[in-house]
Amino acid sequence: MNELLRFENVSFHYDGGEREALFPLSVRLFEGEKIAVLGSNGAGKSTFFLLANGVLTPERGTIFLKGQPVGKKEKERLALRKSIGLVFQDPDVQLLAGTVEEEISFGPINLGLPEKEVRRRVEEALNSLHLTSYRNRGPQYLSGGEKRRVAIADILAMEPDMMLLDEPSSNLDPAGRALLETTLDTLHQKGITLVVATHDVDFAWRWADRILVFHQGELKKDGPPLEIFKDEPLLSHCGLELPLLWRVAQALSIPVFRSPEELSNYKIGRKIL
Amino acid sequence: MITALLTGAVLWSLLVQTLPPILLGAVTAAGAAVAFFFRRHHSHGPVAIDSLARRSLLCEENAFWKTGVSVLLLILSTASPTPLPPLLLFGFLSAVTVLAGKIPLKKYFSLLWLPAAFLLLSTLTLLWDFYRVLPENEVLSLPFFGGWLSVTKASQSLGRLVLARALGAVSCLYFLSLSTPLPELFWVLRRVHVPEVVLDLCMLIYRYLFILLATAHDMRDSAASRLGYATLLKSFRTTGLVYGRLLANSFRRAGHCFDAMESRCYTGKIAFLTQRKPLTGKVICLLSIPLAGMTFGMFLT
Repeated sequence: MNELLRFENVSFHYDGGEREALFPLSVRLFEGEKIAVLGSNGAGKSTFFLLANGVLTPERGTIFLKGQPVGKKEKERLALRKSIGLVFQDPDVQLLAGTVEEEISFGPINLGLPEKEVRRRVEEALNSLHLTSYRNRGPQYLSGGEKRRVAIADILAMEPDMMLLDEPSSNLDPAGRALLETTLDTLHQKGITLVVATHDVDFAWRWADRILVFHQGELKKDGPPLEIFKDEPLLSHCGLELPLLWRVAQALSIPVFRSPEELSNYKIGRKIL
Repeated sequence: MITALLTGAVLWSLLVQTLPPILLGAVTAAGAAVAFFFRRHHSHGPVAIDSLARRSLLCEENAFWKTGVSVLLLILSTASPTPLPPLLLFGFLSAVTVLAGKIPLKKYFSLLWLPAAFLLLSTLTLLWDFYRVLPENEVLSLPFFGGWLSVTKASQSLGRLVLARALGAVSCLYFLSLSTPLPELFWVLRRVHVPEVVLDLCMLIYRYLFILLATAHDMRDSAASRLGYATLLKSFRTTGLVYGRLLANSFRRAGHCFDAMESRCYTGKIAFLTQRKPLTGKVICLLSIPLAGMTFGMFLT
């Protein structure tokens, strides 16, 4: 697997210290991964994302993009932003233009692409997120789930190698969440590496193939989901719960499954109840 | 109700002694009735106009042409030497906005309420004047503190001209703003080389106006649910608190928004892909008629 992004002893503090800080952090992210970032509020997830996206610059330490160190110059940070896209937690912060179509074109135009290419990318992003019928609507008149899809399309149109999503399921209804997971699968099939910050341990267990646990600005643990949720002292220390399927498995003393469907298949097979 | 009375008073003083009494009474009553029937609805604002413009069928037409013609008509209307052409323009453009754009008639008239109130009040002050002795050519006079409040023939014709011009101008602006969403207007301004900085600011203000209004609305509701507006004194205090907080929230929000723009490679220039809206025969025809009529009207005396 090719390395996409590497943090080496990166630390960061906000002025005044009211917001979450990040203490020396070293982590390597590879192409094609599906990573969930877990942690309570103020654990440093958003700071991690803003650093990885080049909006913030590290106080100490270095970020490497595809093996190349990223300096503090505007040009180098731009390279980081081109390659690593960030979907903000609150879509209203991100949405800017008068219509959905214009909105999605903002990123590609900033990349300095010719108009034909911008149009192609906007069309593709509209299609991928099923937004074609909304193209002339004002983003301010859309529902929460639709706004979220527009926010993802914004970044998709920039064709990044990696997409960071900051709590994408917050404020979504159950149908919106289900749609979001389908969207994530589509993005992953397009070959985009996904990093999702979330509070939802059930989602992390079901979806991720690697989990990063943050607590008070530190990376506490980095590993496959099975290893993370086995570590009960870590979970209680970081204020995380066990996924529902884990608790079910513990209560019934059966193996843990990735999805409820797998569990019901097992039940039918063994007739445990 | 007040608008209806005002409309009646203005129409009466504008037309008294130029029409037979029965006709005068009928016109006055009809005007007042229209004003009463289409009185203002609540919950209007910039948001209402913008969402109506997006729903208008004329929204699909070329913005450059619509803006250009509207501005020309506006100039012709305010420069018209006689009251009839601007009045006809008002009727025509209102019909275009309502029929061709499919804007509900009731919405259109209730949006007219705000400019109408200004217009009627200013016409009233133009018509009535104070004189120490009864003026010549007076058509309507009331004794007033030892002098006379009178309407003269001259003030009547001036009032008619001003009212007609203003109505024509209002209909031009309403035609434009109810068929063209603001972002498209910004695009037109960009094409006529208005400085980028000004337009970027307009764009941002337009976008964040919605967020600000929504935030203010939510904060007001939540304050009201905690009885923040129970008494006059309390409501003063609450209003102060809400607006103070709104400022702080807006600053924080502005910071987040800037981060979001930077994260999409923003380097100081806001640009979007614009949808090409071709010029269609329909809108050329619709707008050529008033343009020709108004130009012709310039030569009437």
